[in-house]
Amino acid sequence: MPALNDLAAFQDAFAGALIGEPTKLTPWLAPDETPPGLAVYRGSTTSGMIDALEANYPTVLQIVGRDWFRAAAGRFAAEHPPTEPSLLAYGAAFGAWLEHFAPSADLPYLPGIARLDRLWTEALFAADAPVLNACDFAAIPPARLPFLRVCVHPAVRWAVFDQGLPGLWLASRAGDSELEIEDTPQAMLVTRPATGIETRLIAPAATTFLKACVGGKHLHRATADTLARHTEAEVSRIFAGLIGAGAFTALR
Amino acid sequence: MATPSAGLGLKPKHFRDAAACPAAGLWFEVHPENYLCDGGPRLAGLTAVREVHPLSLHGVGLSLAGDEPPDRAHLKALRRLADRFEPFLVSEHLAWSRRGGAYHPDLLPFPRTMSALVRITDNVDAMQTALGRRVLIENPSLYLDLRGHEMSEIEFLSELVRRTGCGLLLDVNNVFVSCANLGGDAEAYLDAVPAEAVGEIHLAGHERDARPRSPLLIDTHGAPVAPEVWALYRRLVHRIGSRPTLIERDDELPQFPKLMAERDIADAVLQSLAPHPDREIAHACAQ
Repeated sequence: MPALNDLAAFQDAFAGALIGEPTKLTPWLAPDETPPGLAVYRGSTTSGMIDALEANYPTVLQIVGRDWFRAAAGRFAAEHPPTEPSLLAYGAAFGAWLEHFAPSADLPYLPGIARLDRLWTEALFAADAPVLNACDFAAIPPARLPFLRVCVHPAVRWAVFDQGLPGLWLASRAGDSELEIEDTPQAMLVTRPATGIETRLIAPAATTFLKACVGGKHLHRATADTLARHTEAEVSRIFAGLIGAGAFTALR
Repeated sequence: MATPSAGLGLKPKHFRDAAACPAAGLWFEVHPENYLCDGGPRLAGLTAVREVHPLSLHGVGLSLAGDEPPDRAHLKALRRLADRFEPFLVSEHLAWSRRGGAYHPDLLPFPRTMSALVRITDNVDAMQTALGRRVLIENPSLYLDLRGHEMSEIEFLSELVRRTGCGLLLDVNNVFVSCANLGGDAEAYLDAVPAEAVGEIHLAGHERDARPRSPLLIDTHGAPVAPEVWALYRRLVHRIGSRPTLIERDDELPQFPKLMAERDIADAVLQSLAPHPDREIAHACAQ
């Protein structure tokens, strides 16, 4: 039996009791009772983690409902407790975990929805940077522009799907009750201009363009990369759309 | 800015109201853990509030009452935040949440022993060294009657103050809740608090535990401050004098004006206090 003043042993015993194994805590508890206080601590640690997941996966929550979500989130939290004191970014692995969570087998799009929620959270907390607008680009001599690189804003996120998950996600966030998944590839862009977070559908070709920009390619190379993969792409329209969305922070 | 009197726990939902509110002596407090991000609207909102009001950082994640040193990366992050926002107070809890690399996001209890005191003294020292300032330590609300305590909570906290030079954040609602749950005299507890150590006071609402057959009170921060807690608060500040006092509200968040109305009660209590002898002495010395 550990000494009652062994703080490490106490913490191990208490952590065990929080996940339903109170035996080792017995030396520190009054005899012959299951104290209601243990349930209080168990409840508040669990709800702390589940609340953080609810905040970070609001669209998943909206689609599956509160009971289903909290049951799933509780299981996830038991397997993946937070590893840092801030819960702002807690649950990065939740989307991938849902892929193997048996009850979500009937909801094959759920991990993708979780992934899109995650992009939104990442964009929310990403670093600040100025946003270039159309005037900034208009000031560049047209002959010079192709030989410049554009830096993507640190809050920009995107994802491409073989199906219309982004459309479903956007409709769900907009509060639509009629949710349908289109059977065509879709891409979503998240940006954070001064007014707050914006989300929109973009052409899948636009993600090829963005990827080339992030890779440090000159604009003419980024354009060529995009056309090589998407022969029908209208790159000047894509570029203008990305500028309008606030996707770029600098030219060099 | 006026001297901080009564303040409010700040939620992102109230950023605009908080920045626009001109009340004298109003200040705000946040959990730094909710602002450990690189940028974005949350930090911008807090910056706007900080431009007009004093701010306090009230940590919940350092796990000072655990048997290991505070997380160095977290200390560094706290320091960066404190350097940016220049809070007039920084505080943490007499509790733990971290064990073996995993966090149990709550304020967990421990047996108050001499060996725990030695460990926690080191941890508070580490926090004060990393932040380069005195910090306040708060009494948590307790729900479990542990065996193995070698001293009372107030004895433990007083000794921690003596050994580290830290101050106390006295949560009057937590005193009420802990005494109700574990059997104790809240008035006697508050009377035993070393007045000069108290740097801040917390007030909050509690509720009865909804679980079947539980007699416990829960410190939910989801209700207005109870009349009994107001009475304890008046008694305390009449003894120790005015201290920055915070109304905490995390759940069932009302509209800002309703929170301000509750905050104004604490402000009125502080304004009603006769000038404290200590302050008079300080004033006389200054002259």
